[in-house]
Amino acid sequence: MPTNSLLSTHQLNKFYHDPIDHHVLKSINLQIQQGEFVSIVGASGSGKSTLLYVLSTMDTDYTGDIYFDNELLKSKSKDDLAELRNEKIGFVFQFHYLLPEFTVLENVMMPALKLNKHSKDEIYANAIEKLKLLDIDELADKKANKLSGGQQQRVAIARALINQPKIIMGDEPTGNLDSKNSEMVYEIFRTLNKTFGQTFLIVTHDTTFAEKTDRIIHLKDGEIIKH
Amino acid sequence: MNTPTNWQIAFRHLRSKKRQSIVAMLGVTFGIAIFIFQGGLMTGFQKTFIEQTINTSANIRIYNESKLNRRPILNKVTAFKHSLIFVRNQKPKDELPKIKNVQGIVEYLEKHPMVQGVSPNLSAQVIFKSGITQISGRVLGVHILKENILFNVEKNNMQGSIKKLNTIPNGVILGEGLAELLGVHLNDNIQILSSAGVSLEMKIVGINKTGITELDKSRAYITIRNAQKLLLADNDFITDINIKVKNIDDSQALAATLQKKFGYRALDWKEANANIFSIFKVQNMITYLIITTILIVSGFGIFNILMMIIYEKLPDIAILKAIGFKDKDIVYIFITESLMIGLTGGLLGLFLGFLLQKLIGSIRMNVKGFVTLEYLQFNNSATFYLFGFFFAVVVTAIAGYIPARKASKTDPIDILRSK
Repeated sequence: MPTNSLLSTHQLNKFYHDPIDHHVLKSINLQIQQGEFVSIVGASGSGKSTLLYVLSTMDTDYTGDIYFDNELLKSKSKDDLAELRNEKIGFVFQFHYLLPEFTVLENVMMPALKLNKHSKDEIYANAIEKLKLLDIDELADKKANKLSGGQQQRVAIARALINQPKIIMGDEPTGNLDSKNSEMVYEIFRTLNKTFGQTFLIVTHDTTFAEKTDRIIHLKDGEIIKH
Repeated sequence: MNTPTNWQIAFRHLRSKKRQSIVAMLGVTFGIAIFIFQGGLMTGFQKTFIEQTINTSANIRIYNESKLNRRPILNKVTAFKHSLIFVRNQKPKDELPKIKNVQGIVEYLEKHPMVQGVSPNLSAQVIFKSGITQISGRVLGVHILKENILFNVEKNNMQGSIKKLNTIPNGVILGEGLAELLGVHLNDNIQILSSAGVSLEMKIVGINKTGITELDKSRAYITIRNAQKLLLADNDFITDINIKVKNIDDSQALAATLQKKFGYRALDWKEANANIFSIFKVQNMITYLIITTILIVSGFGIFNILMMIIYEKLPDIAILKAIGFKDKDIVYIFITESLMIGLTGGLLGLFLGFLLQKLIGSIRMNVKGFVTLEYLQFNNSATFYLFGFFFAVVVTAIAGYIPARKASKTDPIDILRSK
């Protein structure tokens, strides 16, 4: 059932069997359009993170269909999904998750080096540009583990942007930041959304953050109750 | 796969955890070094021992084996066919263990293409006397130049000259231990007394050392003619013909054909030293068990450290997978890391093993036992180095592969959400 939306699900269900049988996601049907800035909210245990990881292609244990960029994800191998993540999805996590041995610049360049579509010089220039966009270009040569939380999150955003992904997914990207840095992350997302039409799908329990997004998907006990 | 990026990640991991990488590498290094050292030491000693023993025993020895258990001659008498024959206290026929037609056999052998040297000899039990000191031992009557081709007598000669045996009619070359026991020196005179009651006054023209303590303490070289005199024998009396074969591996086959051709017993060196080889078989078994244990222990050490390195990197693996690295990239990265550890550690281990051998091998030991050893001898065979290096690489590859594969299969979500 391909549609013209960027990401859509049809009767998406997921069960956990360990330690007890648990129906985490119940018949989820949703669509995300190109250029949308969407947030998913819900109490903890509502299945919002699980939904994000299923949509992100990292969790493949589900029933139902997911279409991303007009392709049915079920039909793809693990390696294909890794390539898809590399090229079309950018991630921002709660705990920054940079590679600690590498510099800021190297962290940002990594997904592009993996994609291997451009020369190293082009990737370098591109990474510097992204760092400038996020106003952290002076940190380029610092080791990733020497940065503050807010700085690390900005590096993670720059890394998510490097391959010009179709969508950026965030799992509580502001969950570990103070209100000033949270505000800053929101502003960055909003600017990218406005100027480049970047699509965002953000899981959060930060209501002030969620209220400022274009659309909120409310999840309760594995069901969408409002969107 | 994007190899340069994977390599870059692998190298960065190793470099950023310098101490851990070095410890892992040293684990490989010590394992391999001890393997090479131990293997070289154990087989080296054995090799020296075998060489020394073989150098003093002929490749092939032809002699007349006296048959003690002859069937009573009465059995040949057909008249007693249905009777029980019983001969009490039968003694061997009184015949000397002499080889007939020695000249012919020696000439034949010297022309044989497989033979390098032939030395006929005869030996006699004697008592060496110097003043009141008496030592029992054995004299070997030889043609010293022929004997030299077989046993390198000249190289083992410590004092004097072996050639004097041919020029001085009553010359004798004593073993070093024997000279010491008798308290005599070069150019001294001693008396040699045979079981036949003959006593000869001999002059010491050389002192010889084979390294086999037992031999050096009891043996002396004299001329064939003097030995015959001691035994009151004719001048064609020869009991043994020793042969040196060009290719030592031909000994067994040649011995068999010679035994058939001449009708005398022909014993090759392997058969002659069978009891020594059987001891070494057991010793080899022990050696290889110990070496295998060393390798297994160091293998587990390597495995352990690599496993720790990889499990510490689980968050990195999760993030790499999230940004698009495939399972095989992850395996590739960690195999590269463990192989780097294995290769550098292995190479260093080979070098360290070699150094240890040289170091210990340069310490004077002066072991005087069944054999005389001044220094410990190492078997510096390429096999140990090749096998040690091969082992280092294979074990580290496996030790990297197993946890890397397991880590690559783990769900990144579990790791990303578990903080």
